[in-house]
Amino acid sequence: MSEHAPTSLTDADDRTLAGRAADGDVRAFEVLVRRYGPLMRAYATRILGSNAESDDVVQEAFVTSWQQLSTLDDGRAVKSWMMRIVSNKSIDRLRARREHGDIDDHDPQEPIERSPAHVAESRSQEEALSQALAALPEPQRQCWTLREIADYSYEEIAEQLDLPTSTVRGLLARARKALTREMEAWR
Amino acid sequence: MSNHSAEPADFSGDEPEGLDGHTIEELNDYLDRDRTPTDASIDNSPGCQIALGTLERLRGLTRTLLDRDALAEPERDDSWVSSILAGLTREVHAGRDIPITHGSPNARLSVTEGAVRGMIRAAGDSVGGIVTGRCRLEGDVTELGEPINVLVEANAFWVDRLADAEEDVRRAVRAELERHTDLNIEAIDVTIEDATASLASTE
Repeated sequence: MSEHAPTSLTDADDRTLAGRAADGDVRAFEVLVRRYGPLMRAYATRILGSNAESDDVVQEAFVTSWQQLSTLDDGRAVKSWMMRIVSNKSIDRLRARREHGDIDDHDPQEPIERSPAHVAESRSQEEALSQALAALPEPQRQCWTLREIADYSYEEIAEQLDLPTSTVRGLLARARKALTREMEAWR
Repeated sequence: MSNHSAEPADFSGDEPEGLDGHTIEELNDYLDRDRTPTDASIDNSPGCQIALGTLERLRGLTRTLLDRDALAEPERDDSWVSSILAGLTREVHAGRDIPITHGSPNARLSVTEGAVRGMIRAAGDSVGGIVTGRCRLEGDVTELGEPINVLVEANAFWVDRLADAEEDVRRAVRAELERHTDLNIEAIDVTIEDATASLASTE
């Protein structure tokens, strides 16, 4: 055939892997798990605000993906499709937390006094953003993450978090203001 | 949540100074609209320009935040993957039951559609440079003798002529199905996408 090393499943594109997995090929699904597992875990951690439940959420998301893959029309979209499943599972956890009263409406951790100098100490802009995010009150951080990382609309966030759209708007505005302030301080 | 006054001091009156009457939200909306229609009171305000720059920087960082997180994820051992795979139910993809004839008239044998797709994949994969993707059996496979069309998708790597590869896959799949099933194969439609470029770009 050719002098190149034999091709393997790990070389295949998303469409091929998703197609195989939809047809019941566990090996192809395994490649997808390895390819996107870390990203999905990072995503769940961002939405949940900690990684304590990320593994469970990602595992649930993969089980659901496996069961529903045959309903996915375009395998090329498998990554964003699975990301949406992770995000739905993560939001389910947020709701469950709220129902169990694990979180009240206020910031669970008292906002740490964050002087610009403190943030400026961080090695990079990336770290500055991560720290600024971590310092946001929980509801602001959740809204911001769903809007800016998960690309939800204001209305979707309101629906998912059981909040009035106007409240979502206000929380996002405050989050954005705080983050802008921190980023300017860093500069 | 409705009681905003319960969260003091962390937002009230903290619009950055020098925005010439504009707010961060307005500036963010302005970016969302690609700065159209142009707003002179924003464009001519040094303070707004600085804030817009910061917002754009924030957006840039946000876009790559997850990828950076993922890279920083601790290396997962195989047990993590296998625990996920162990939770999967194989039966969900079994599909239809496909009858197969047998010497004994009393025996009713069948093979699942999922198993037949597995045969098609294996046959396709046996062709050099080919990784088989989705397969479809069109037609009523549950009735012996019904005409069936087989659709096969595949990736090709380092293949000289796609047309040749398609013919090779078609031949391999037909041979495999004729050997192991009684399907009345009318046509085998093979669609191959050359994935060599994507392979090179990920290396």
